[in-house]
Amino acid sequence: MAAAALETATKELNQQIGLTTDGSQFLTFNLGEELYGVDILRVQEIKGYTAVTKIPNTPSHIKGVLNLRGTIVPIIELRTKFNMPTIDYTAFTVIIVVVVRDKVMGLVVDAVSDVLNIDKKDIQPPPQFGAKVDVSFLNGIGKSNDKLVALLDMDRLLLDDEMQDGTKAEKAA
Amino acid sequence: MSDEFAQFQEAFFEEAAEHLAIVEEGLLALEQYPKDLELLAKIFRSAHSIKGASGMFGFNAVTQFTHKMETLLDLLRNGEKAVSPPIADLLLKSTDCLKALIEAVKSGGAVDDEVVQRLTAELASASGAQPPAVPQKQSVAVSPQSASQERSYLIKWTPPEWLFQRGLDPLQVLKELNGFGDLSSVTLDMSRVPDLAEIDPEKCYLSWELQLLTGKDQKTIESVFEFVHEDSTLSIEEIRSQESGVRSNAAYDSIPSITPHPSSLRPQEDGGPKPLGTILVESGVVSPAVLEQALSQQKRVGEILVEQKAVTPRQLEQALNTQRQQEAASHTKKTDTTSIRVDTAKIDKLINLVGELVITQSMLSDLGSRFEIKQLPVLLERVAQLERNTREIQERVMGIRMLPIGTAFSRFPRLVRDLSTKAGKKIQLVLSGEETELDKTVIESIGDPLTHLVRNSADHGLEPPEERLDNNKSEVGTIRLNAFHEGGSICITVEDDGRGLSRDKIIAKAIKQGLIGENEKLSDDQIWPLIFRPGFSTAEKVTDVSGRGVGMDVVKRNIEALGGTVSIKTVTGKGTTFTLKLPLTLAIIEGMTVRVGKETYIVPLLSILESIQPKAGTIKTVVGKGELINVRGTYLPMIRMYEVFILEPEYTNPMKSILLILETEGERVAVMVDEILGQQQVVIKSMEQNFRKVEGIAGATILGDGTVGFILDVRGLLEIARQGTPVSAVA
Repeated sequence: MAAAALETATKELNQQIGLTTDGSQFLTFNLGEELYGVDILRVQEIKGYTAVTKIPNTPSHIKGVLNLRGTIVPIIELRTKFNMPTIDYTAFTVIIVVVVRDKVMGLVVDAVSDVLNIDKKDIQPPPQFGAKVDVSFLNGIGKSNDKLVALLDMDRLLLDDEMQDGTKAEKAA
Repeated sequence: MSDEFAQFQEAFFEEAAEHLAIVEEGLLALEQYPKDLELLAKIFRSAHSIKGASGMFGFNAVTQFTHKMETLLDLLRNGEKAVSPPIADLLLKSTDCLKALIEAVKSGGAVDDEVVQRLTAELASASGAQPPAVPQKQSVAVSPQSASQERSYLIKWTPPEWLFQRGLDPLQVLKELNGFGDLSSVTLDMSRVPDLAEIDPEKCYLSWELQLLTGKDQKTIESVFEFVHEDSTLSIEEIRSQESGVRSNAAYDSIPSITPHPSSLRPQEDGGPKPLGTILVESGVVSPAVLEQALSQQKRVGEILVEQKAVTPRQLEQALNTQRQQEAASHTKKTDTTSIRVDTAKIDKLINLVGELVITQSMLSDLGSRFEIKQLPVLLERVAQLERNTREIQERVMGIRMLPIGTAFSRFPRLVRDLSTKAGKKIQLVLSGEETELDKTVIESIGDPLTHLVRNSADHGLEPPEERLDNNKSEVGTIRLNAFHEGGSICITVEDDGRGLSRDKIIAKAIKQGLIGENEKLSDDQIWPLIFRPGFSTAEKVTDVSGRGVGMDVVKRNIEALGGTVSIKTVTGKGTTFTLKLPLTLAIIEGMTVRVGKETYIVPLLSILESIQPKAGTIKTVVGKGELINVRGTYLPMIRMYEVFILEPEYTNPMKSILLILETEGERVAVMVDEILGQQQVVIKSMEQNFRKVEGIAGATILGDGTVGFILDVRGLLEIARQGTPVSAVA
């Protein structure tokens, strides 16, 4: 009973402040001037950047692994992953810890921005650039108050990447 | 089903497994001591417990089958029948069948009804009872109703309230029903019984639900209720579900054309109405072939919806995926729960230790709140105590996962017995060291490799009796299983006194398979491991037990996956010994922490032979690149760790760094690192859990400063070094 009451209260409160809980909420973050978004339900936590242990013989976008309260979590640098120039880490550099199909991973981003509520009608399909620019890891482009948010397909982004490495390793072996 | 109920079920399955083990063990022992009544009583008790508990959960198929076994056991126990080999054999087979039945209820799988029925009949005839109408596969389609076979009835009876007043006894009714056949389940409903204060002793508040297996027809059953029929609520239904009992299936087997494949024609499982198709076929309106055809034209709901444009194919696909996932999830949930039984003494000891830990902690915090530097010795002493406590607790907690290896050995007496009958050899199995404890996971994973080894010994190792007598050996071959501790690991040996491995045969086979050259001179130690190659078998004939060449490679792979090794000792004509060396536990290893540049790695202590500081002139190269180091007269290949893992080392000059001499699978290499930091126990953390397997790394661990350190996989390191360019570093 209490739980149900709490739930309705939360819903009402969310509506009042313009947040809905239909799953179209996105945590947005910056990479340079660009704004990206991940489905908020995928996000486990956000933590400040701490030094990681480099994993030998892995692609450069895999920064290394981190001890997150006893579990070993791989950390991926999104800038390198997207072939963007790397920058020095600042006080704003954070790790967004996400859960993708029961695997916990961390993403290094320049800074977290906001939690945005984007309606389905404000999301358009990902653009096509052909072979020039690889945007296969985008779910779509969201609009929110003149801002463009590139919505990331986490399964694609993190697991495809992992598979590829796996097959590469196998081929080489 | 509520969680609590599921929990009790879990307990039932566990207990049933234990009882089954006792029954099996007992039966095997019974073959040697057929007169041992104590033993019989023990078997009987276990069987009885299974029957009772399964009845409580309503696993009727299990209950009924156990009941039959029990009847026979009872006769044996009372001395009315003597234990003969056929009977022992039958009971063992029945135990297997019972195992399958229980497994079926547990995982929701299917059981081979025919086997169950055959064994039920055999059990009944062995018990000297009238063989029940054994279902025969009749060629004429007989309507189940008219057949004079046994049928199962569900009888619900609520007697009138005046029952006692007229001096009628419901028990008489039940007894009479029991006389008709087998009253397999009797459930008494007492829900209408009022509080004691309001009870009227002359009134009957009870009702019954009965399951009767009988050859009599419904009329006869109804006649039993003749005197009490007035005012009572009575329903008699024939039931035909799988759950209701084994023999009720007989009704189905008598319709020959229904059983084959069409899954849509399968009888409903919970006694619900039959599908329309089945009824039509049974009543002869349509032939099964016509029905099949009609069914094949039937479309899936999804397809129809897509055609009507109610859903898009994509939505449908998604929904189907969800369905599949749910199915998979429900399935894994059923099989995945494991639990462990722990000796209470172990837990008590642990609780004591935790108590000590709490005391030490409070002593420390007391000291911390008013600490002065002159109390430093006291502080150090208490910290030492804390360390002692922690270590002891760690050992005890690991100890909880430790089980005696006897649990893994217990399956072998039966296996060897069956193998010896099959192969026509006389084999004696000797077990020792069953009380040696090791990790539960290890025990679970060594079962299969051990089985392979024992089978191999029985099938290839031991000779037939005639050959043994010719070679002046005792007619009975011996297989010895032994387990013992050695250092930080556990050794398990599988030893036979058979013919031993044939050097010539192995060499011939290896040459044929192109594994070795024609004139290569190989030492014994190089030849024996050849049998671990995939597809390598020198058995002249392939039996259904072994000889196909799969097995030995699996044994090796499984053991190595556990971080263990397999070695072979053999003397031609005298026998073969396989020695498995396994770590005590998989969770913690003893490691040496080493530094390369800024990175810290942990090298498993088991693989380290020694560490040396090379002297000038001991390092030579071949073809300008391959480096070799002279260690007391032997040249070992040298691997620079920073090259393999692409690190920035402090020293590139071997004279300044340290060389670890490591051994893996009998090979020795020297690995160059900057510095040795120390030796410590590390807890192994999985890399695969959130990432994937990384070549050259066995796992990760958390170091003293909270950062992650990698545990070296010596074999993997070697492989990378041999391939030249490290894997995927190019990417």
